[in-house]
Amino acid sequence: MADNNTFDAIVVGSGISGGWAAKELTERGLTVVMLERGYDIKHGKDYEASNKPVWEYPHRGGRTQEMIADYPRLKRDYPLNERNLHYWASDKDNPYTETKRFDWFRGYHVGGRSLMWGRQSYRWCEEDFLANAKDGIAVDWPIRYKDLEEWYTHVEKFAGIQGSYEKLPQLPDSHFLPAMELNVVEKDVAAKIKAHYNNKRTLIIGRTAHVTGPLGHSPQRTNCQYRDMCWNGCPFGAYFSTQSSTLPAAMATGKLTLGINSIVKEIIYDKETKKAKGVRVIDAETMQVKEYFSKIVFLCASALNSAWVLMNSATDIWPDGLGSSSGELGHNVMDHHFRVGASGEVEGYDDKYYFGHRPTGFYIPRFRNFGGDKRDYLRGFGYQGSGSRNGWGREVAELSIGAELKDALSEPGGWRIGATAFGETLPYHDNKITLDRTMKDKWGLPVLNFDVEFKENEKKMRVDMKADMKEMLEIAGVKNVREYDNDNAPGMGIHEMGVARMGRDPKTSVLNSNNQVWDCKNVFVTDGACMTSASCVNPSLTYMALTARAAAFAVDELKKMNV
Amino acid sequence: MDRRELLKMVAAATGGIVIGGEFFLAGCKNPEAGTSGKDFADSDIAFFDEVAETIFPKTSTPGAKEAKVGQFMTVMVNDCYTEDDQKAFRDGKAAINTACDKMHGHDFMKASPEQRKAVLVSFEKEVKDHQEKRREFMKEQDDLEKKAQANGDTNFKRKTMSAHYFTMMKQLTILGYFTSKEGRTGATRYEPVPGKYIGDYDYKKGDKIITSLS
Repeated sequence: MADNNTFDAIVVGSGISGGWAAKELTERGLTVVMLERGYDIKHGKDYEASNKPVWEYPHRGGRTQEMIADYPRLKRDYPLNERNLHYWASDKDNPYTETKRFDWFRGYHVGGRSLMWGRQSYRWCEEDFLANAKDGIAVDWPIRYKDLEEWYTHVEKFAGIQGSYEKLPQLPDSHFLPAMELNVVEKDVAAKIKAHYNNKRTLIIGRTAHVTGPLGHSPQRTNCQYRDMCWNGCPFGAYFSTQSSTLPAAMATGKLTLGINSIVKEIIYDKETKKAKGVRVIDAETMQVKEYFSKIVFLCASALNSAWVLMNSATDIWPDGLGSSSGELGHNVMDHHFRVGASGEVEGYDDKYYFGHRPTGFYIPRFRNFGGDKRDYLRGFGYQGSGSRNGWGREVAELSIGAELKDALSEPGGWRIGATAFGETLPYHDNKITLDRTMKDKWGLPVLNFDVEFKENEKKMRVDMKADMKEMLEIAGVKNVREYDNDNAPGMGIHEMGVARMGRDPKTSVLNSNNQVWDCKNVFVTDGACMTSASCVNPSLTYMALTARAAAFAVDELKKMNV
Repeated sequence: MDRRELLKMVAAATGGIVIGGEFFLAGCKNPEAGTSGKDFADSDIAFFDEVAETIFPKTSTPGAKEAKVGQFMTVMVNDCYTEDDQKAFRDGKAAINTACDKMHGHDFMKASPEQRKAVLVSFEKEVKDHQEKRREFMKEQDDLEKKAQANGDTNFKRKTMSAHYFTMMKQLTILGYFTSKEGRTGATRYEPVPGKYIGDYDYKKGDKIITSLS
């Protein structure tokens, strides 16, 4: 075999998890090829729209009928827009089938969704890792908070997470850069909530992966400039992405090779050694099939695609794919359920405003089913929201047209504050993805079928998600509070998890406590697929920590000749 | 680092690309290409410019005409509206002329700014009634859709009802104006690179909104 096809490690995918795998493995001395199915986007210079004002878009950032027709799935939410459409995967080239509706919004390019993620970054708490065992559902996590704690710190120091130290049991503090600021109205509402609920409920700044202070190890990254342009890729490198952060670190080792347009079709499994030898790849542009070989494989293709790769691998031994012996591969699909909450008007503060475009809002950590609280459903939810003055898009009923209307809309309106809840979903075995061989994608590969739904526990939780926000706002003196439940299909949270879960027993889980596939120990899955439960906080920081932990373990095992 | 330095840095980081109206996005057609028969004539654009200018006239800040809102309306209607909405919008032109003729004895383009305003203001009640009807219609469709979903009927297709053409024109004027270079730089405090966030910032009546690049 040709030398340029053989590496110590193969990393499949270049998003948040893949980027971390590449960085950690190369820094620990391994030669690595990172295979990305899509095209390259170079930091800074390929962020075509990062300095583009709204008026240079013919539809001012909106969507055309042609776009709506071309993107039957993406049109279901905000990703279908004129600003960063080229960052979202084509529905035409990458179809999928739905037994039940599932919104799957993908990023097929270097950096994956690390370029367009929401950047919210929260640690899980001890309770999150204990929850399945306590509730007697699904399977127990094979690790606890203390197993991950040092790895959270490790990734936070490098990624740069801004936030405030709060000492909350349900939301452990990260290693923080200086916190962004709550605005004057948010601070006031925070104080009233804190006083009323006797510190049981708190409103804090939303923790995000933005640079707000010195990050000595990454001189290419500078502080957030508060431009409101994150979604286009940040030329300042102010938010964490593969491009801004892990890729330059991995490249600096001289040990990383980046393979673009490389769709990993399957893992090459060796029956004799019971290990993976490498991967088989289709070149997205030439359709040529190529093989790469390695001692270990890190599967970080995004949760559902990592499962897809496994399902397509070693089918001569396991008809349902590599890692399917437990019967759990592709099952337990989770996302967060959201789009439910409340908002209202804030009186006064006419003499107050804010300067700059803050890339985060506030966060209200979980308080339900925690610390003595007990509800008629399991788990909990947190809120993400913000307070702001109304802009030019508001309705001004009393001024129909003319100079008065123009002048009025050129000034800020009254203050509003509101928040939407993000709730934990449970892992249900019958929420599943399967290979649908009746449909093929652009490259002739079978597609995924989705059979996923939210169930009773989520529905019950939504009642509180709506009512609790209304109550808190009213207690804070907010007027005309309106609650809402806009419903959402699974997937819309873009937090896909669970399809190759970690566990303690190969009979009931796909991965062990070190993210190794039980059936094939030199394959590691460290993206959302590995999650045994969902927590209610945004998951990306946990993928980073799990990936770094698994990478360190893998390198140790290689040294000990165990894999 | 001052703002000028930062802007230079942005330009450097983006490879100094000067982006001016090119259409790098797949599926986004050039509004000036004139590809289909549904394109508007220059006289239409002039007409919509005057409607927009009546809604947002020039004062100490730029007017809608200066912000080329007429042209913007036609691009949005052609590319972003459904066929039903396009028809409703197009019919609006004739309706405005008819109303103007009835009120002033000549069509809208010949009317004075005051006459134009009187015509558009006269739609207010009609618009309100239409909005009320449309709200009810959409609620009905919501209910039907929910019922269909509950019955497992996957063939259900929502019916739509267009907004009143004047609502469309007013919305497009507001959107087009505040997202135009002239409107944003002339009528708001445009801060493309604030460099910091101040959460407690003094405000007095008359201060403009603070806007961003996006």
